[in-house]
Amino acid sequence: MTDEDAVRRPGRGFVVKIWDAPTRWVHGLIIALIGLAWWTESHDQMDWHIRIGCALLGVVLFRLAWGFFGGATARFSSFVRGPGAVLRYAAKLARGGVAEEGVGHNPMGGWSVVALLGVMAAEIGVGLFCVDVDGLESGPLADRVSFQAGRAAAHWHTVLFNALLALIALHLCAIAFYGIVRKDNLIGPMLTGRKRLAGRNGDATGASPSRGSGVMFWVSAAVAAGVAVWASLGFKI
Amino acid sequence: MATWHGGTRRVWRSALFAAAGLAVVTVASAAAADVLGVIAARHAHFKEIGKAAKAMSEQLKSPTPEIPVVQAAVKQIDALAPQLPSWFPAGSGPAPGVKTEAKADIWTKPDEFKRDAAAFAEAAHKLDVIAAGGDVSAIRTQAQAMGQTCKTCHEAFRQRDD
Repeated sequence: MTDEDAVRRPGRGFVVKIWDAPTRWVHGLIIALIGLAWWTESHDQMDWHIRIGCALLGVVLFRLAWGFFGGATARFSSFVRGPGAVLRYAAKLARGGVAEEGVGHNPMGGWSVVALLGVMAAEIGVGLFCVDVDGLESGPLADRVSFQAGRAAAHWHTVLFNALLALIALHLCAIAFYGIVRKDNLIGPMLTGRKRLAGRNGDATGASPSRGSGVMFWVSAAVAAGVAVWASLGFKI
Repeated sequence: MATWHGGTRRVWRSALFAAAGLAVVTVASAAAADVLGVIAARHAHFKEIGKAAKAMSEQLKSPTPEIPVVQAAVKQIDALAPQLPSWFPAGSGPAPGVKTEAKADIWTKPDEFKRDAAAFAEAAHKLDVIAAGGDVSAIRTQAQAMGQTCKTCHEAFRQRDD
């Protein structure tokens, strides 16, 4: 037994590893890179803004791949649920039901992840084509489009960034809600990967969710990094 | 009959007011159309400069720039730059129902605006002369200097829209 497996302590519930290391690193990198992208843009450091955007592209691509090859709680198949499950969960939450004992994203949180990743992917994709008002600063793929199209891309880059900020605000509100109202600390497990479960319901069997594929980790990371670097060079050979 | 007279007079007066009102509206909308035309032309000019600047900077970012492309783009910018102040006649500033990023400061601080515009025209002309020489690193340096004049003026006199 390693420390990643569940540890049963009588009367204290289970400690279960719920977020694998790549998922936590992706989360941390996204926070750091969005902050840097924002800072460099508002301080007229466009060369760095573009590099950071390409790095973020790599991180998001890796996360999308990890959604198929990662640990159980990182996989889209485990957390993208139908409208029925979302509504049932929302109703339970509204009634103030017993805290969920399941591990991983709840049915509403799953869609929050999908929305965040989707808007980030769109934001970065559009960013590659942006041109500034002077026609002098531009994304690595802007030479494929007209000045006018590049300006339109810059407009959408702003719209999508505001959408992303709104989603982040919602995300933070949800974390505060779980922390304050439900007494469920979501931040700790995202830092350490581990969560203590009371073991009140049948979901908590004491087994940690299965881990991701080691080989696919390296394959995904290498491909994502390659695409990020290639994008920064304008996909030129 | 007095009432009839009064009535007639009233009708004439109303008609006169209506005609005057119509004339005011017509003149005002003609003026508004004029302003919109001025602004549309201004936008078209700036887009021409943006297009040329994009073509130029794409070449200068490349390790092997095509100098004739740079020269043509720079010549276009140099031709347009001195006209810039004429694209901002009085009355073509921000107003309700008018879509413009031009700040009112252009007309309230005309000396500063003209100074910034002149700096751009001067930098563009210098770039045109240097581009004709074909020295890539000298062109890159002056292109950056010109870009700085765009930024300086835009920061002071242009409302960011993106």
